[in-house]
Amino acid sequence: MAAADSPFTALRHDLCSRGIRLAGKMRADVINLLDAYVEQQGLDASSSVAAVEGVPLAAVERWDEQTGTQRLLENLAAYRAFRALLAQMLEEQQEQLGEADMGLGRALAAVLLQVSAFTYHLEELLRLESCGIPGEEGDGTPPPPCLSLFEQKLRGLGVLRELAQWAVRSMRDLRQLAKPGLPTGAAPGLAESP
Amino acid sequence: ESHIQYERVGADVTMKCGSMDWDAAVTWTANGTDIDESHLNGSYLILKNVDLSHSGQYSCYEGSSWHLKYLTYLRVGTPPKEPVLMCRSNNYPKGFYCSWHLPTPTYIPNSFNISVIHGTKDMVCEKDAVPKNRCHIRYLQLFSTVKYKVTLTVTNALGKNFTTLTFDEFAIVKPDPPESVVAKPVPNNPRRLEVSWQNPSSWPDPESFPLKFFLRYRPLILDQWQHVELSDGTSHTITDAYAGKEYIIQVAAKDNDIGTWSDWSVAVHATPWTEEPKHLTTEAQITETTSASTSSFMAPPTTKICDKGAVVGSGAMAVCWTAGLVVAAYSVLFI
Repeated sequence: MAAADSPFTALRHDLCSRGIRLAGKMRADVINLLDAYVEQQGLDASSSVAAVEGVPLAAVERWDEQTGTQRLLENLAAYRAFRALLAQMLEEQQEQLGEADMGLGRALAAVLLQVSAFTYHLEELLRLESCGIPGEEGDGTPPPPCLSLFEQKLRGLGVLRELAQWAVRSMRDLRQLAKPGLPTGAAPGLAESP
Repeated sequence: ESHIQYERVGADVTMKCGSMDWDAAVTWTANGTDIDESHLNGSYLILKNVDLSHSGQYSCYEGSSWHLKYLTYLRVGTPPKEPVLMCRSNNYPKGFYCSWHLPTPTYIPNSFNISVIHGTKDMVCEKDAVPKNRCHIRYLQLFSTVKYKVTLTVTNALGKNFTTLTFDEFAIVKPDPPESVVAKPVPNNPRRLEVSWQNPSSWPDPESFPLKFFLRYRPLILDQWQHVELSDGTSHTITDAYAGKEYIIQVAAKDNDIGTWSDWSVAVHATPWTEEPKHLTTEAQITETTSASTSSFMAPPTTKICDKGAVVGSGAMAVCWTAGLVVAAYSVLFI
C-alpha cells in the first residue's frame, strides 16, 4: 500500500481531482444540452424512456462495495459507449436538421469532446494504477438499429439522461478512488452509522 | 353484546338494540344519561344530523327489567381527505424516508398503507416506531434514472383516499441543517466574526459525498441578509461586520452535486470585538471627584489627562496633579 504522501498517491489524488472537475463541468453542460434537446426536439421532459440497447446504465447495486479498478473499468466502458452514441446523435442531427439548428449540433459536439477528454483521463488513471486498458473492439456499440425519427429522438433523450447520471457517478467514483491510503483493489465500503 | 358504529358528520343515524324486535320496549341511555322517547322509533334510536358531540356510549336496556341488552359505541367522524405525503433523503446515499399526515382530522381511527415502486420492483418501506407516520427505505441502487413512485392510501370506516408522489433519486436529497454553529468575535478585529459549524450527524459519509454550505448573516438592526456560498470547509470568517453591532448568523447545507438546500440552522448571535473603553487613572479620578462636587463640568472620557500606560516616575505624576488642580480651579469659576 502506498504511503499517504507518496508521489503515487499525490498523482492519483491530482488525477482524481481533475477528473472530478471534468465530470462536474461535463454534467453541467449535459444538463443544459438536455434542456435544449427536449425543447428543440419537441419532447416532454418528464417522458419515461425505457432502457435503450447500447446505452450504458449508470444505475448500480452495492456501489459502495466496488473496488477502485471496477469503478475505473466501468466508467471507461461507459464513456467509450457514450462517445460512439454521441457521435451517432450528431450525425443524425446533422442529417435531420442540416444547417437549421447549428446551436444544438455545436452543443452536442462540445459534450462529445468532453466525453472524449474524460475517456482519455480515465485511461490515464488506469495506466497509473497499472491496470490493463481493455481494447475498444470489445465494447463498441452495436450497429445503429433502424429507428423512426421519433424513436431516434427518444433514444437521444435516454442517452443524455444516462450521461448526466454517469457524470455524477463518476464524481463519486473518483472521490472514492482519491481517498488516501486506499489500494485500487480494495472496496472501501461506507461506514455504517449507528 | 356491543359494537362500534362509525357514522359521518351530518348523517342521520339509526341504532338498533341488538336483536330486539322493533316493537320491543326498551330504554336508551347516552353516556349514562336517559334519552328522551322522542328520539325513538319503536326500539330503534334515531339521531338526526349527528355531529362530533354525539360520539359516545349508547346503552339499550330491556324495558321492565333494565337488563342491558346492547351497547353501541358511536363514533362520528369524516372520511379521510387526500393525505399529504413527503419523501426526502437526508442520509444519502443510504436511503430515504417518507412521512405523511392528514390535512384535517377525521376523529376516527385511520390506517395508512404505503407502497413504493422503483421501475417494476416493489420496495418495502419499513415503518418507524417513532414517529408513527413515517417509514424508510434503503437504496438498492444508486444513480438510477428510473423514478420512484410512492403511493399512500389512508382508510377509515367511512372511506379512503390516496396520494402519489413520483420522483427521481437526486431530486429528494436534502440534508439536515448544519449542527453546532458557533460564532465568535476575533480579538483586536472590530469587523470580523469567526463562524464554524459541523456537518449534520445524519449525513453518513461527508468525505465521499461532500456538502457545500450557504452562510447568511445580518446585524439585528437591519433586515437584509448577506450571503456567502462555501464549497468546502466548515468555517468562515466574516470580514465586513459593522463594528459593535450584534449579528445573527445561520448556515445551510447541500450535497455538492445534487438535491436541494437544507433548512437554515439554528441562529446564533455574536458581536464583533470592540476595544474596552479606557478607564481614568487614580489621579484623574480624584480630579473628577473634586470637580464633580462644584460643577457639572467634566473632562470627556476620551480626554487623556493622564495616560495610564504613560504614567511612569514622579515627573508624570506631578503633571497629573497639576492638571487636576487646574481643572478644579476652572470648575470653581463656573459656580
